[in-house]
Amino acid sequence: MLDQSKRTETAIVAFAAIIIVGVLPCLNAFTPTGSLLHISDFSINLYGKYLCYAVLAISVDLLWGYTGLLSLGQCLFFSLGGYALGMHLMLMIGKLGQYHSDLPDFMVFLGYPRLPAHWVPFRSFWFASAAVVLVPAALAFVFGFLAFRSRIKGVYFAILTQALTYAACLMFFRNDFTFGGNNGLTDFKFILGHDLRTAATQRDLYIATGILLFATYGLCRWLIATKFGKVQRAIRDRENRVLFSGYATASYKLFIFVVCAVIAGVAGALYVPQVGIINPSEMATDKSLEAVVWVAVGGRGTLVGPIIGAIFVNALKSWATRAYPDLWLIILGTLFIFVVLFLPGGIVSIPERVSEWKASRRKPV
Amino acid sequence: MRVSPIPSFAHWLIAAAFLLVAALGGYGAESTDRMNEGPARSLLVGALEAKGPEQLKLLGELGDSGSKTAAEVLTAWSRGQVYLVQDSAGRTVPVLFEEQQDSAGKSRADSIADGTWIADAKGKEARFDPSDATSVDADMRLRSAIRQTLDMLALSNPDPDERRSAAVKLGASQRRQYIPALQARLAKEKDSHVRRALEESIAQIDLTSADPAVQQKAIARLAFLNAMGCIDNLNQLAAAPTTDKQVAQAAKAAAASINSHIQHVNLFGTIFRGVSLGSILLVVTLGLAITFGQMGVINMAHGEMIAVGAYTCYVVQNVFGTGFSFALTLPFSYGGHQVSFGASIPGINATGLFYESYFLFAIPLSFMTAFIAGLVVERLIIQFLYNRKLESLLATWGVSLVMQQLLRMVFGANNVQVNSPSWLLGHFTLDDVLFGYNRVFVIAFAILIVIGTWLLLTKTSVGLLIRAVTQNREMASCMGVRTTRVNMMTFAFGSGLAGLAGAFLSQIGNVGPSMGQSYIVDSFMVVVVGGVGSIVGTVCAALGIGTADQVLQQVLGSPVLGKIIVLGTIILFLQWKPGGLFTTRSRNLDS
Repeated sequence: MLDQSKRTETAIVAFAAIIIVGVLPCLNAFTPTGSLLHISDFSINLYGKYLCYAVLAISVDLLWGYTGLLSLGQCLFFSLGGYALGMHLMLMIGKLGQYHSDLPDFMVFLGYPRLPAHWVPFRSFWFASAAVVLVPAALAFVFGFLAFRSRIKGVYFAILTQALTYAACLMFFRNDFTFGGNNGLTDFKFILGHDLRTAATQRDLYIATGILLFATYGLCRWLIATKFGKVQRAIRDRENRVLFSGYATASYKLFIFVVCAVIAGVAGALYVPQVGIINPSEMATDKSLEAVVWVAVGGRGTLVGPIIGAIFVNALKSWATRAYPDLWLIILGTLFIFVVLFLPGGIVSIPERVSEWKASRRKPV
Repeated sequence: MRVSPIPSFAHWLIAAAFLLVAALGGYGAESTDRMNEGPARSLLVGALEAKGPEQLKLLGELGDSGSKTAAEVLTAWSRGQVYLVQDSAGRTVPVLFEEQQDSAGKSRADSIADGTWIADAKGKEARFDPSDATSVDADMRLRSAIRQTLDMLALSNPDPDERRSAAVKLGASQRRQYIPALQARLAKEKDSHVRRALEESIAQIDLTSADPAVQQKAIARLAFLNAMGCIDNLNQLAAAPTTDKQVAQAAKAAAASINSHIQHVNLFGTIFRGVSLGSILLVVTLGLAITFGQMGVINMAHGEMIAVGAYTCYVVQNVFGTGFSFALTLPFSYGGHQVSFGASIPGINATGLFYESYFLFAIPLSFMTAFIAGLVVERLIIQFLYNRKLESLLATWGVSLVMQQLLRMVFGANNVQVNSPSWLLGHFTLDDVLFGYNRVFVIAFAILIVIGTWLLLTKTSVGLLIRAVTQNREMASCMGVRTTRVNMMTFAFGSGLAGLAGAFLSQIGNVGPSMGQSYIVDSFMVVVVGGVGSIVGTVCAALGIGTADQVLQQVLGSPVLGKIIVLGTIILFLQWKPGGLFTTRSRNLDS
């Protein structure tokens, strides 16, 4: 039975992967504009954004659904990854900026005499890529070490991660923090020599995001199947028992926290070139909570759930903010309350619920 | 040793009585004015008609009269706007023309002698053409005498604030001829603030004296008075090459001592603002601490309960004024009609003291509104989530989104204006530190609320039930405590406290749909630092965080950096005391 459902899940995910990574980009590239099957450049860009969110949602779920750590700071790691790549993209603009200077526009505007020292190595794409992974990892390591060492958990952990994100958000809003203040980094032109404004580059980025999503899915699926994954879930269910059985739960939690920070950071790095801007509002406290909503709506404690949730909620958002701009927050809030109260398993639990319901109806007869 | 000019209690009572009289219509003040103007008017007429030294002497006497009319007439005189006309009896009298002219370009004339309109032969109000009338001249010497008299008049103005600013102005001019006037006033002055300003001004003028001994004395006086306004004069004196060496040294020392006083004033001002911010934070957090600490529900919608309280104030204010109404159109249609609803409360058009008292009605109402809102949220949502703490956090966030948007739809996305009642405006000073009444009020009320909450929790049967349910819900239930009802009331009470906080915030900060958001992260921090369920901890943490925030802002010169440091410190603090300042001891591993 278990194997059966696992096999079904694999089949569905493989099918989705073929559609998302293979078919949709082909439809965008090779069908004529205006035809029924054509996917517009705008849509591809939008889907790319959704996929980045889906990766972020997986990182939230790995913490919340599998380890019982509700982190309200995943958007911070997401933004840090985004800023790291954004810095590289900023330097790649070269003299094409508004002020035709080697310095990024905002630095000219704020009167910097030269490039700050910590910006210089970001000229190299590989350095920036390493930063995308290492900066979130380092912050998560330090914060996680301090938090887990003093056994902060549950609601306290949620509040503290929120405070950390809030502090970082305030910091990035400052102009003298050398990351562009509230305007952030924007107006990117090139990535690895490719023009970011062309449809082909955007399509490639979309494909890369799709691959990242399914690679993350695969990695997480492998991870939770290992003994490590079992301990992880045991921590979620009864941490003290695991601790008394001789497992250093703090180390387990620290490891998973760092892994999730890296996943979020990479997702952020792919998000920035597709959206074309990164600013501190990405790490506002609301954004992290929204990411938690995606997971809850999709179904936490599963790996497909967050993906479905992220895509569903964001598609709903795209539609509702256009159709009923005033009511969007009410829709989101109500949806969330509804899911928490009546559908704790999220969307993925619906088929199970339905079959249970059918079974319960059949029994008395 | 410093002597602080502390206003006496009697002085306070008098000021309060004056406020009352002024608010009740101000008739009294006007009639006393009329009575006092008689002698001043005859002096004025005398001065206008006299010549030479006699004129100067009369002007000098006018300077002490404190008359409002004298100030008006003298101002007009120095501008050449006092005229001579013939009255019905054929006498030449000095008048002021009213500004308004009729169609023929003529206007009525106000007699300076008695303040009535000049009548013509038939006893009607006579009209004159100002361009035909002769004005009373004033030569240079006279004009400067008039100006001096005007300054002196300001010194004897019945309003102490006016007198004070006149003294400061005379002192800042540093002209020696004012010294006798200032000293004369000082001999009569009763108000301690004005006395101080006068003394400061005299010393400030004495700084320009040619006699080093006088200068030394003035410097000593200024240093003694901590004259913050004279620090530039002292620095100039110290730097000027012509200054006597010893005098320069004394001036430098005095400037340094005044500077340290300024720093001291700033520090205490900052601490006061910090404490008042802390007490708002305290009221905000107390509700949160009760729901969180005692029930394990972290209420993300707490910030919106604050907004509910503040908007209640806004509605009450409008009901006391012209009324309140709103209309809401939803983007749906039903049966061809747009779905919309609205409500309207007629105003009672209160004025004066009654209108000013709206805030007293608003305080309990904002508690009640938030209490009811909390009750509804608890019944609809929270009651299902007592055993799922993380989910309750998320569900209340959903509630917060919905409430925020509803407020935005009803009241608009912009901030609304809540006027402070006049008795909360203004301030008093203690040793140069400014204490705003509204902040003092907030601090006093926060103390009341803390004591009230403490009494409720420890001395009443309801409090006993709340504590019983907190410690062990199942056991309390077995003993016959109706836990659902206790839960309901506790959550509603916590929300009500947030509503109260909102009422205070409406007096100090902006009122907008997302106003609660700016306090919510701070109040979470307070709960975490203070320790769950401990009122003492909440009080210490709220005041500590509030004050640290303000002081760091002042020291670092940047609000953001201060906040970041506070947040960083809190994270490190929890390494040392993970359970917060005051933890309840328990043998339970998971609590």
